[in-house]
Amino acid sequence: MMVLLPTLAEPQHFSVWEKLVFVALAVASVYGFWHRFGPILGKILQSRKDPDFHLFPIGKRVRDFVWEVLCQAKVIRERPLAGVAHALVFWAFCAFALVTLNHCATVFGAGFLDPDGRVGRMYFYFAALFAAACAVGIFGLFVRRFLARPKWLGEVSWGSGLVALLIFLLMVTYLAAFFVSGAGDAARALWWAHTLTLLMFLPVIPHTKHLHLVLSPFTVFLSRGGFARIPPLAGDEDFGLVAGKDLTRLVSLQTYSCVECGRCMEHCPANNTGKLLNPKEVVLGLRGYLNEYGPASEEPLLGKYNAQEAVFQCTTCGACEFQCPVGIEHVPIIVGLRRGAVNTGAWEDDHGAKLFLALERGSNALGMSTAERDKFIEKNALPLFNGTQEYCLWLGCMGAYDPQGREIVLALVRLMRYLGASFGVLRKEKCTGDPVQRLGNDLLFQQLAEANLETLKQSRVKKIVSICPHCVRTIQEDWKAYGTPPEVEHHSEFLARHADRLPPVKNQGRIAFHDPCYLGRYRGVYDEPRRVAALVGELVEAPRSRERSFCCGAGGGLVFLGEEKGERVSHARAAELAATGAGVVGTACPFCNTMFRDAFAAKSEGAPELVDIAQLAAKGLPE
Amino acid sequence: MKIAVAIKQVPDRDAPVRIAASSKWIDESEMQWAMNEPDAYALEEALLLKEQAGGEVIVVSAGPERVGSTIREALAKGADRAIHIVCDDLSGRDALGVARLLAAAIKPENPDLVLTGLQSEDLGLGQTGVIIAELLELPHATMILHVEKTDAGLKVKRELEEGWFQSIEMSLPAVLTMQSGGNKLRYATLMGIKRAKTKQLRTVNAAELGVDGAAVVALDQIAAPKKQKITQILQGSAKEAAAALVEKLKTEARVL
Amino acid sequence: MNSILVVQEARKDGRARLFQETLVAGRKLAGLTGLPLEAAGAGDPNKNIFLEISGPPPVAGHAVQHPLLETYTADGYVLAFEQLIRKLEPAYVVFPHTYQVRDFVPRLAARFGQVLIGDVTAIEAGPLFVRQLFQGKMSATYRHTGNGPCFVSIQSGAFRDDSASGGAMNIYHFTPDIPAEAIRTRPGEPFRGSEQTVDLGSAQRIVSVGRGIKEAENLPLVEELATALGAELAASRPICDNGWLPMERQVGSSGQTVAPKLYLAVGISGAIQHLVGMKGSQCIVAINKDPDAPIFEVADYGIVGDLFELVPALTEAVRTAKQ
Repeated sequence: MMVLLPTLAEPQHFSVWEKLVFVALAVASVYGFWHRFGPILGKILQSRKDPDFHLFPIGKRVRDFVWEVLCQAKVIRERPLAGVAHALVFWAFCAFALVTLNHCATVFGAGFLDPDGRVGRMYFYFAALFAAACAVGIFGLFVRRFLARPKWLGEVSWGSGLVALLIFLLMVTYLAAFFVSGAGDAARALWWAHTLTLLMFLPVIPHTKHLHLVLSPFTVFLSRGGFARIPPLAGDEDFGLVAGKDLTRLVSLQTYSCVECGRCMEHCPANNTGKLLNPKEVVLGLRGYLNEYGPASEEPLLGKYNAQEAVFQCTTCGACEFQCPVGIEHVPIIVGLRRGAVNTGAWEDDHGAKLFLALERGSNALGMSTAERDKFIEKNALPLFNGTQEYCLWLGCMGAYDPQGREIVLALVRLMRYLGASFGVLRKEKCTGDPVQRLGNDLLFQQLAEANLETLKQSRVKKIVSICPHCVRTIQEDWKAYGTPPEVEHHSEFLARHADRLPPVKNQGRIAFHDPCYLGRYRGVYDEPRRVAALVGELVEAPRSRERSFCCGAGGGLVFLGEEKGERVSHARAAELAATGAGVVGTACPFCNTMFRDAFAAKSEGAPELVDIAQLAAKGLPE
Repeated sequence: MKIAVAIKQVPDRDAPVRIAASSKWIDESEMQWAMNEPDAYALEEALLLKEQAGGEVIVVSAGPERVGSTIREALAKGADRAIHIVCDDLSGRDALGVARLLAAAIKPENPDLVLTGLQSEDLGLGQTGVIIAELLELPHATMILHVEKTDAGLKVKRELEEGWFQSIEMSLPAVLTMQSGGNKLRYATLMGIKRAKTKQLRTVNAAELGVDGAAVVALDQIAAPKKQKITQILQGSAKEAAAALVEKLKTEARVL
Repeated sequence: MNSILVVQEARKDGRARLFQETLVAGRKLAGLTGLPLEAAGAGDPNKNIFLEISGPPPVAGHAVQHPLLETYTADGYVLAFEQLIRKLEPAYVVFPHTYQVRDFVPRLAARFGQVLIGDVTAIEAGPLFVRQLFQGKMSATYRHTGNGPCFVSIQSGAFRDDSASGGAMNIYHFTPDIPAEAIRTRPGEPFRGSEQTVDLGSAQRIVSVGRGIKEAENLPLVEELATALGAELAASRPICDNGWLPMERQVGSSGQTVAPKLYLAVGISGAIQHLVGMKGSQCIVAINKDPDAPIFEVADYGIVGDLFELVPALTEAVRTAKQ
């Protein structure tokens, strides 16, 4: 005798009137959806094409899609509880795809899943599991958003409330159908309840941030590729993101995909220290702009919806972009807005102008005389690169002119000599142009990149090792627009490769290593510097480390600009590092080093020792 | 207002300077060049005046072909057109000779105002602007920080020694030499450079201007100064070191 | 009548130092050329033109006087001296290198088809005139090759005067012909910059204090030194961050960039953020107890020691020197 398990009750027969009503409502629903979605899609497609977008190689796109969309990895990783709840809702939606199709087909007698058949049954049970999980999940999320109210979710949004209710109803009406008889009125009532909920849900989607249901899978799949990749300018009339007509399809798509989850804002160092900048608002501001002015407008982007001041408070740390679960690439957007202001001369900032003028006529961002660099090389008898050595040791601005930067270079020199690596320094270097590229001055960046590439070519440089993650990034990625840069690596990568030949110095105490943004998130290098630091002491992880590392505040050209408003980013992070109780703070970037040095100096006592990992490793060398 | 700005391309201020084998001039072979900074301030003032009162800014510069890059920079920053006096022996001419070239190019333009930097970063003579005024028979003022257009002509703010200033009124046309620091300089932008490509840059050979090039003052020889900059650490007790320092500041550095 | 004409500039405060120095240079030139020394000065008919001098006096002093010369104008002075020079026909005309001289003498020289050899720091046999190029990185010797008077201006402090007291000069009065319409500029009264805002950018001397000062209570020590030197007070960033001095006194990458004649860094280590703000200073003096402090790399003079002893000693020494 078969055990009687509940089956999904479906009304068997629908009258002509019911069919007509259904069709009318369905048409209205689809119309409601398209009425809003059509123009949005139009705005995205009318935006200009991205000049450097390549669909292929497609492998990485597929991998990212599977990991971030299907597995919901980014959603879960940062906020596990809420993330899993959301994942359940999403997976339920996926599971329900066939259910919904079948549901609509039954009104015409064309249902293809038989609730009594084996396949149908299994499938409906399968969907029921997800429905239950989804109902629980959506209830939990509702409680979080409306009762717990974490600040980065922003203001209470009735659209979200409505959607939560509709989803809940969809699940409940589905589950309830297992407990009624297919022949009765209850089944028919449930069927109509489910249908009405569904048809109400469809048009709501494009009117709220739930548009991400439709768009975000595309947004993740169609990303620019690379992290914080700044696209090249296209042609003579392209000055960056000046007005609506400069917005590209990817940017428009991304602004409409924002779910307002606030992960970007939560991790933004500027936002965390009381600045005007809020990455979420930058994206939503562009959305507001597109809604009002459209993608062909000449109205400046930095105006009603986005403030110039905010956009220039960004350190380009990339935490926002790294966290975004729907694939929004904030860094190219913010740099694009900066380009629009700087390339047209609309940005008037004393310190910024000073930086640009110093690089227009000189060779380095600090405005120092090259004689100082020559003296440093001579005084320390650094070998000059003559084309025969394996490595070109790139000094960079900080390594050549900053007293602390020089100490880092000299430590690395000692280590390279000990390891028997052949290297030389260039007679002449110009700034790689990192601050200028991130601030959006393409004229100056092109001049610097081209001049440097020429020098490297003439000097026959094949491999570069550098103490500065900014130099490494700029040489490897940003110079590509102007030529073919040689191989380049950061000194932590070089040292980690040879770590087993370096003499350890134990008992130097506990070391808190600070992950530089341009080494960690930008380059994915987290373990190498730790391997080096571990030669010298016991590593202690600071809160917000590795991919969640909190910026030191120098990036994006900000170290060259004037005083910050509000709490200093560097002080906030320095305090966090000191609070680990470690006696030593290890850095791998001369800018992090200089920012923390100032911050620790402001504390009168008890500050930890601040050293670069090269200096740590050098402690073990014989005198 | 039609403003002519005379600018000079000079060796980059921060670059090391080496003496040529002949000892008569510097070794230009690996030199980096830039716009003379006081001239950049003169250009900035001209651009501000044009933005306020309308008109045209014409940039004039004398020198060999490499001067073209500095002229284009001026066009990129907002000058309307330029005149390049092609001259390969600029260092062989004295201030009067150079001023004659510039005045000859400027005169047919009949500008309302001629601006130039107070002095150049290489020779530092500080005379070219004043001599141009004499050659064009126009009134002039030097060390100007700020220019204001009035109904009668101009009112300018002149720097005097030891923190004093003076206002001077004069009618147009006139010549002014500009002191650095009066305004904030603007940076060259991508948009500026692209627009500069369509602006007129007229070249004229020095010989065509028909001026007398003979020098009345000749540079005999260049040498590194006898005293190199080395840090002198003064020893002794507090009193002794202090006294030694005051002595050095008075007699050697001459800043007291 | 070939001679060396030394021109005096009357100063409001009556200080004769510049004239003394110019005379010393003139005497050097006289020694090299064998020409007699004369003096000239311009101004108001109602005033005494010439200041007291020491050392052997010039054989003649020409007082160029006219009501329109009471207030300096380039047009007036050029016209007046042009006429004097045409009358006297000196071989050399020697000026002090002041702002006023830079304002009119190039024009005056051009009127004679000549070029001023300016800011001369030494005169050698020839005569050859030495001046600095490339902002002091090089020195160059110049020769006068034209026909006509040779115009020269002397750098302040280049020729030190050691003479004993001198004698009297024969004064000759000269009234130039200056029509009113020849004066084409209308200068106003000199005025000071605004007192409220701190303008480090135009300060000639700056005393800058850093973390070596330890506490705000110790600032008066450095303020006294600044007052004694007639210098502006400035600071590195930590001092301003702590509120011990206002932000506008901050020198460095996020503060002001300065290039005074004298920059005295007291208790400042010389981190790059500070260096970029003051490296253009003409003469840098550093006082720090750490002999390895980076500031000593850029300093012209340095004293390694305790600033709490050195600063008062320096204040004392400066006051003594000024008497």
